[in-house]
Amino acid sequence: MEIEITERDAVTVVAIKGSVDSLNADELTSAFAKPIKAGRVRMVADFSAVTYTSSAGLRSLLATVKDCRRGGGDLRIAALQPQVERVLSISGFTGIIKIFPDREGAVGSFKAVA
Amino acid sequence: MVVGATDPTVSLVIGSGSVKCAAALGVVKVLNEAGIGIERVVGCSAGALFASAIALGYDTAAAKDITLRVWTRELTSRPNRLSYLRVVAPKLLGFKADNFGLRDERAMAASLRSVFGDRRIEDTAIPLHITATDFATGELVDITHGRIVDAIRASLALPFAFAPVQFDGRLMTDGYLSDPLPVSVAMKHGGRVIVGVGFESPYQEKVNSAGRFAFQLGAIMANNLLKSKLAFHSMAHHSEVILVLPEFQQRVRLFETAKVPYVIEEGEQAMLLQLPYLRELLAAEKRQAAAFPA
Repeated sequence: MEIEITERDAVTVVAIKGSVDSLNADELTSAFAKPIKAGRVRMVADFSAVTYTSSAGLRSLLATVKDCRRGGGDLRIAALQPQVERVLSISGFTGIIKIFPDREGAVGSFKAVA
Repeated sequence: MVVGATDPTVSLVIGSGSVKCAAALGVVKVLNEAGIGIERVVGCSAGALFASAIALGYDTAAAKDITLRVWTRELTSRPNRLSYLRVVAPKLLGFKADNFGLRDERAMAASLRSVFGDRRIEDTAIPLHITATDFATGELVDITHGRIVDAIRASLALPFAFAPVQFDGRLMTDGYLSDPLPVSVAMKHGGRVIVGVGFESPYQEKVNSAGRFAFQLGAIMANNLLKSKLAFHSMAHHSEVILVLPEFQQRVRLFETAKVPYVIEEGEQAMLLQLPYLRELLAAEKRQAAAFPA
């Protein structure tokens, strides 16, 4: 898994490449945690290059969503691949996390309510 | 077909899904070829049929043959006329929970007996769990002993179609009503890496009869239950649940056994997609176990 973090005004974009699973979920949780600790709680996870997610990956996302919302922000997901969207859907995650077709839409959604 | 107590191993959970549960045979084929054993197998509803075959060690061809013998339209073709009459005149004809099923279940019972005879759950090569639902309390029941035929009948007691089944002093109905993909059973028994073969219930193309209306409502409830249970269990588990979700481009109807080879193939393909990660994960688990011996 590769992680690239960029700032877009008040939004932190975490672009992930590869598989999000038990072998790297801790690494992903840590990557999410750094901006949150710095008070940057508006986050977008760009999933356009994520090919797989497992239950461990879901746990990382849920922990991050909770931390962001606790701080008054949110974690939103952009550009899900169909096979990953299926896992999120069947696990009930699409009901609690905002999903956007692309990164721009996800970043822009924060501006809409700002 | 099943490797048995080898290292590495996974727990296999086969959810409800009628004939589509045959996809589990494709999943097991891939696991076997990869040298990955099965430490425990859990089956729900039609998944119980395949879980039993796997636990008993039937090879793919034999399990496929069982499917073709058991899962036929004859299972539900004969109506239980007395049950229909009991709906109309419940007091007169003695309506009871354990005698209400609109289909005659004798064909299914005979079919299951022809395959499994008097074999018992506790005698299987791989630990077998069959899930059903307690009719009185709604609780999930983890059946780990008794005749396989009786346990499958309880797990497969599709509401309205088949009457609930008395088993071990409790009245039981279809396992999907408490959890369509009971990964919790594998978790409770210490499974770390769990392969869950799951299926969403199909929605009706046309709702033009009371039966289809009931099926549609059942599918809505089952799919929502599947998602909510899976969400909770994914969060609760400390290790990994690997979901195998076969994608059926062709519609597979309830008794379409002609599509069993296609269903098995889709299961195989779905498992192959997960195999690289599963291998890595099991290798990591092995390293961890070596570093921190019990």
